[in-house]
Amino acid sequence: MNRKYELGFIIPTSVQESETQAVINDVREWIQGHEGTITNVDFWGRRRLAYPIQDFREGYYVFLQMEFPAQKLSELEHSLWFDERVLRHLVVRLDE
Amino acid sequence: MDVMDDLSDNDEDEQSSRFSPGRRQRVDRRRRRRRKEDYFEVNNLAINYKDIDSLRRFITDRGKIRPRRQTGLTSKNQRQLARAIKRARFLALLPYTDEHLRS
Repeated sequence: MNRKYELGFIIPTSVQESETQAVINDVREWIQGHEGTITNVDFWGRRRLAYPIQDFREGYYVFLQMEFPAQKLSELEHSLWFDERVLRHLVVRLDE
Repeated sequence: MDVMDDLSDNDEDEQSSRFSPGRRQRVDRRRRRRRKEDYFEVNNLAINYKDIDSLRRFITDRGKIRPRRQTGLTSKNQRQLARAIKRARFLALLPYTDEHLRS
């Protein structure tokens, strides 16, 4: 059963701005690989972090709305955690 | 049936006239302050962790979440606010403290 989630993540500035779309596309493929569907992509662009994370002071913010199977969420998060092109991510339920 | 309806209407009228002025007249001698209106209800806004401009007015300059006596929010909205601020902090949209600004 798919649930509605919002996935927000930060791409560090070690990634070139022109490469950010490639990161988003990889995330998109992970989601689709688990039979999830993306309903909206919101790219905020480069933004100053409220506090430094791993010595980065800025990052590119991306928010994806998706419908995703709840049991596969940990696998998706695993991929996000272990990709160094994702500085931080947060998954939030939208249908509560 | 008509009589019953009339009675219940009267009851409500009496209740509101008996209780609401009393509430308004409650005065604290040190600082008399009218109950603040709930920001999110008044502006018809949903509490969202990405709405940093709205959230920012509910944190102190040290980054702490303001208490309900200062925010004037309903308890439901205060809880949602706290959750939204914590989410925003995790994504570095809001600071945890002002300490990390000193650098």
